[in-house]
Amino acid sequence: MKNVAQREPSVIPGFGITLGFTTFFLSAIVLLPLSALVLKAAGMDWSRFIDVIASPRALASYRLSFGASLVAAGLNMVFGFVLAWTLVRYDFPGRRLVDAIIDMPFALPTAVSGIALTAIFSANGWIGQYLEPHGIFVAYTPIGITVALTLISMPFVVRTVQPALQEVQRDLEDAAETLGAGRFYVFRRIIVPTVLPALLTGFTLAFARAVGEYGSVVFIAGNKALETEITPLLIYIKLEEFDYAGAAALGCVMLTISFVMLLAINLLQVWGRKRMMVSR
Amino acid sequence: MSIALDQVTKRYQEQPVVNDVSIEVAEGEFFVLLGPSGSGKSTLLRAIAGLTGIDHGRISLHGRDVTHVRARDRGVGLVFQNYALFRHMSVADNIEFALRVRRMKATDRRARRKELLKLVALEGMDERLPGQLSGGQQQRVAVARALAHKPQVLLLDEPFGALDAKIREELRRTIRAVQRELGITTVLVTHDQEEAFALADTIGVMNHGRLLEVGNPNDLYAQPATRFVATFLGAANLLLARQGADGIRFGATPVSAAGAEPVQAGREHEVVAVLRPEEVEIAGAREQLNSNYIARAAVEEIVFTGALERLRVRLLDEPCAAQLLGPSGNGDARLEITRTQHERRSLPLSQGAQIAIGARRLHVLPTPLSSFLACGATEADAAALAREPLLESLSTGMKTRVGLRAIDGLTGTPAPFAGVAAIAGGDNAAATVEWLMRHGASEVLVLPHNAPSPNRVFIHWTDEGARRATLAVAASLLRHVSAEAVYLGIVPESRPGSTRPAPMRALLDARSEAQQSHGLEMRTELAIGETVTELTRNLSTGSAQMLVLGITDVTQAGSAYRSLLAAQPGWPVLIVYRPADSRAAPEIAA
Repeated sequence: MKNVAQREPSVIPGFGITLGFTTFFLSAIVLLPLSALVLKAAGMDWSRFIDVIASPRALASYRLSFGASLVAAGLNMVFGFVLAWTLVRYDFPGRRLVDAIIDMPFALPTAVSGIALTAIFSANGWIGQYLEPHGIFVAYTPIGITVALTLISMPFVVRTVQPALQEVQRDLEDAAETLGAGRFYVFRRIIVPTVLPALLTGFTLAFARAVGEYGSVVFIAGNKALETEITPLLIYIKLEEFDYAGAAALGCVMLTISFVMLLAINLLQVWGRKRMMVSR
Repeated sequence: MSIALDQVTKRYQEQPVVNDVSIEVAEGEFFVLLGPSGSGKSTLLRAIAGLTGIDHGRISLHGRDVTHVRARDRGVGLVFQNYALFRHMSVADNIEFALRVRRMKATDRRARRKELLKLVALEGMDERLPGQLSGGQQQRVAVARALAHKPQVLLLDEPFGALDAKIREELRRTIRAVQRELGITTVLVTHDQEEAFALADTIGVMNHGRLLEVGNPNDLYAQPATRFVATFLGAANLLLARQGADGIRFGATPVSAAGAEPVQAGREHEVVAVLRPEEVEIAGAREQLNSNYIARAAVEEIVFTGALERLRVRLLDEPCAAQLLGPSGNGDARLEITRTQHERRSLPLSQGAQIAIGARRLHVLPTPLSSFLACGATEADAAALAREPLLESLSTGMKTRVGLRAIDGLTGTPAPFAGVAAIAGGDNAAATVEWLMRHGASEVLVLPHNAPSPNRVFIHWTDEGARRATLAVAASLLRHVSAEAVYLGIVPESRPGSTRPAPMRALLDARSEAQQSHGLEMRTELAIGETVTELTRNLSTGSAQMLVLGITDVTQAGSAYRSLLAAQPGWPVLIVYRPADSRAAPEIAA
């Protein structure tokens, strides 16, 4: 209770009630299902567990799932940043419209995005027909999966970086400029370090979203075992085969890897925040 | 010249925020740009730094034209109100930023950094982050950072704005000391007159994007030329006095005043005088005063402020009280007085006490526009005229009053007219103008009903004798309306064989005189034809236009300009009348 006493008195009373409520909801909605998952997997013996999670098919799916998600989140760090930059720094006709479109992947059923992307990138689709003669196949390849993941995780980066960019004072850039710094130097040494925490948060969210994505990917992936099969799909296949324990085992692996990665990124961020000492 | 600005103009969406500003700052000088918020002073500073482009004019630093040079190549140091430190960098990295950009060697950087930290008294703070420093310390770091690359010019944009009083004073002293030690030319922007006095070698006062006056703090305080500077630099009581050949009278009492110009015999006019609160003398009775007696007064309010005592008194002499200009022009005219503790002890006062007031020093503003007098056939007509939007906005802007006068029938000998007489437009306007001018009015404003505030003011005089006065009045008027000034030169239809060098010369002369004597930038246009026709034609080209017309022959007003003044819906016309024989003192706008 010492911690509680040290807190600033809050405007809203009832710390006890809210903490209880939070704990209950977190348990009921997040922890309970996750525990059930772990319990289910624990029902298997070790050798069978290892067999399931270390099968070549499973290993290939991890690589694809996490690899494509990392690439997608990384791409979004760049393009999402540019998008946010454009929206914050420039006033152009239709800016509000673009701003609204950013949120579309949030609202669209993911299956719809998947079907739409497949239609566009398939061999006779709008874009696919021009890529195919150059030997670039998007639909039914890992590239397609990455494209789908990039699309659905894009808003996370834009929406976290946008407010951070708004906060970058023009004065900082002006100061750097009067001190003799060129535009690129200002960008690299002033702007990027200032928005880096937000950028990392956006990356984390985008990555988390991409890892868990299923709906849009299954349409564009082609779902060939060992090649274009993501882990969530593999889990679904296990379920269809009534191999609940196997599905749970794979789920546990995903859970662990995701948790470790997210924790790592979060720690990185805390470290970054400390360095910034944001106090005005 | 270390910094030279030549007719710098910057517009945002057609609205000038910096309007034709020319400044010269000498080597090693501490120049303070003083003005209220929105006066364009920060924009001007950013323009010097190269962060804001300008639409017109030239900027040079140490003789080098840098108008089109990028900020990073100008070699200036800039300090911001909110410090603008790089928060993810240590104090050392912040200070070395400019050196790193210039690829200076690490050992040299370190030496320079130590030197700078010593200069701003922050030794040993190298590894701190900005977030770990107090506001005052952060601003010191910002100053050190701005000086790192040895700029030729140091620019400070409200550097003390975010600090509390005590730290502010300390930092002020540091900056002054650093500036003296380095001998660096410095421009500081502030809205705080106390700060300006404490730091400046030279103060430039800005308002509405225009540079009103430049001078050393002492002169500006003692002898302001404009109302704005008089009231913005310290507190000022503004009085209306009458100036004749025999001197200046306030109410019925003759007073002596500094800055008063001689006046032509027989014509009296109204002047605006500045009486600083500390220049007011108080005594129990008139005989005990050592200075010019002004009036009797009753103490209304006493505020103790430590070193000084502030008094607010109401003048008991009605005619005298009527000559005081309150902040809103009319009504609550009270005199502000400050006394030292020494003065307070020699004559303790309580609320309601009756005292005699004297002026130790009065300064007369050289403004041609003192107050307005709305004239109508009846008192009610005059009152209605006084409520005209243009007249109201002018009197509020000029912090002056609008008096009322009934002039029914245009007969008899009226009491002297003080200030600018205002009358309604219409068929009788021309005759009224003539009658007013024959009875002593020097400026008459003819106001059509509901005339908007002009966005263009045409200036024209019929005779060179009226040039000086017309320009002075126009410049004074244009300080209070944000309008474009256009001098309209009109040449009669050319006769065969005649050439026109003379009118062109007059045009250019008028323009340079407006610039030099009044700081007024005006465009010039030349029209060919008959005067009234051309004036009417030009006035009809836009919606919100106004005319300032200088004449030397009063009969012109009554006859030649009848149609111009009677036009419907008409335009505001300010007629400036200077009899042809008056070549009196130079007039300066204020």
